[in-house]
Amino acid sequence: MYLSIAARAFQSRLAYRSQVWASFFGQTIQILARIAIWTAAYAGTASVEGVSLDDMVTYSILAGTVLAAWYYEALIQDIGTSVKTGDVAVFLLKPIRYPLYLFSSAFGEFAFRITAVVLPVVIVISFIYGLQPPASLFHGLMFASFWLLSFIILFELAATCGLLSFWLLTSFSLTYFLQGVIALFSGSLVPLWFFPPAFEAVARLLPFAWIAYYPVAVYLGQLGVEETLLFFAFGLGWAGLLALGIAMLWARASMRLIVQGG
Amino acid sequence: MIAVNGASKMFRQPRRYSGLGGSIKGFFSREYTQVRAVEDISFAIDSGEAVGYLGPNGAGKSTMIKMMTGILVPTAGSIRVLGRVPHEERMANAREIGVVFGQRSQLWWDLPVRDSFELNRRIYNIADARYRENLGHLAEMLEMTGYLERPVRQLSLGQRMRAEIAMALLHDPKILFLDEPTIGLDVVAKDAVRRFLSQINRERGVSIILTTHDLQDIEQICPRLIMVDDGKLLFDGELGRLRAALGARRRLTLEFASDPGPVTLASARLISDEGVFKHFLIEDETISLVGILGQLGGGHDLKDVAIEEPDIEEVIRTFYQQRPALAP
Repeated sequence: MYLSIAARAFQSRLAYRSQVWASFFGQTIQILARIAIWTAAYAGTASVEGVSLDDMVTYSILAGTVLAAWYYEALIQDIGTSVKTGDVAVFLLKPIRYPLYLFSSAFGEFAFRITAVVLPVVIVISFIYGLQPPASLFHGLMFASFWLLSFIILFELAATCGLLSFWLLTSFSLTYFLQGVIALFSGSLVPLWFFPPAFEAVARLLPFAWIAYYPVAVYLGQLGVEETLLFFAFGLGWAGLLALGIAMLWARASMRLIVQGG
Repeated sequence: MIAVNGASKMFRQPRRYSGLGGSIKGFFSREYTQVRAVEDISFAIDSGEAVGYLGPNGAGKSTMIKMMTGILVPTAGSIRVLGRVPHEERMANAREIGVVFGQRSQLWWDLPVRDSFELNRRIYNIADARYRENLGHLAEMLEMTGYLERPVRQLSLGQRMRAEIAMALLHDPKILFLDEPTIGLDVVAKDAVRRFLSQINRERGVSIILTTHDLQDIEQICPRLIMVDDGKLLFDGELGRLRAALGARRRLTLEFASDPGPVTLASARLISDEGVFKHFLIEDETISLVGILGQLGGGHDLKDVAIEEPDIEEVIRTFYQQRPALAP
């Protein structure tokens, strides 16, 4: 059942062909800009803190495209609008769980974005700049697992913000807030290793780091086997904790909805 | 099947003030006003019934539907649907009811109608054979075969509403709740929806509870009528009883080939005499046409007979006007 919700979401996206093209060009330009910035920042230096320019190009491609495949802002907006218009009540009329419904449909969109936007962009950019292969087979496989975990955590953070709109009745400010926090703490713009040590130490423990920083660090082989597994387990812990938080938020939100009428 | 006992619903709304100054005041103030949407309403509905829930805007109709479908909790009183408390067993309740909101779509906007139906098949776990049979049947009855493959956003409101109703019936619900199903539809579409609803009520035994402020919906679909205003129950019973209670009487027109002179009937009062046309008001609500013609006796050259039911709009208008006197 939830699988077919995901399939419907995937299919829904297909209805808008021009959107695919717009996303494709938008993403490509964004990645080119990032690579240009790093090239300028390196200014001919072979490596900064042990990281080469080639590594940074790969980092940009992975963090900027692959790990930003899913457009989480839309989820917050969607929950916000359906709270505002009362459409959320429709989901209470069906024998389904709303958070799982959201996850399934987000997953459908995620899958769509990967096939329709991410893969083509990565292929095109790799042709121009060259994408480094993963550090090892192990790191490559672990990257795939981290990638999925990254989507789950990103979804959970967005869903949490979306559900908060039940109380705040505004999703716009929440979207802004999450965008800022993610840009800073996830390493999607600037890898955490370039931050001051104290800041880095804190950021590495927050769930945002699993969105972009850890997956790429694993891909590039910056973490050893044991460390990789350890941080994967750590990330799973965060995912579990956030899932629990969403379940609680939803229970309270739906209680509020049926008691107060939204 | 549905038992509502003394159900009330209060909403707490933040107090709002008008104007810019008022908006600023509202930003800091934490005052609330209590709004009573439903007040101490009781009724029972048996399986197979079709009930119209009627009232003006803001009378608490949607609130009642929402409480019966389990997405609102009554502030006081109890509601049982198919033996369950709807909001406590929301999932189990949801499997056995179908709900259509006239102003809220449950179809996937960008996808063909059929895909939304497919998704419902998964959500409600409908067996394949049953699904195909229901879909074929519903598509035929609602004349949807022509647009099953079209995306919902391209449909007219009438087509969409028929699709919404079909979707709510795919899983063979025992009760179908409709919140203003004919709102915004043109005459033809309204008629199609009404005919269909009364048909599935008769043929499939699906109980129907619908809210409306269109009186014709009730006339054509629902033998039973529950009237509310301002959250309170005003009337519960058959439409005919309401007419009788209000003294809204049937009109009888007799047409003769030639003027028979004065005609008197035991259970009808002459209101106008145009020679060959004589108009009566039938005072005995229970008498049949045959009974009346019996009173007329033979020997008249009767050409045509017509009985007019009082217009339901008129009945209800009189009802609302006389309310203080009639309210229980």
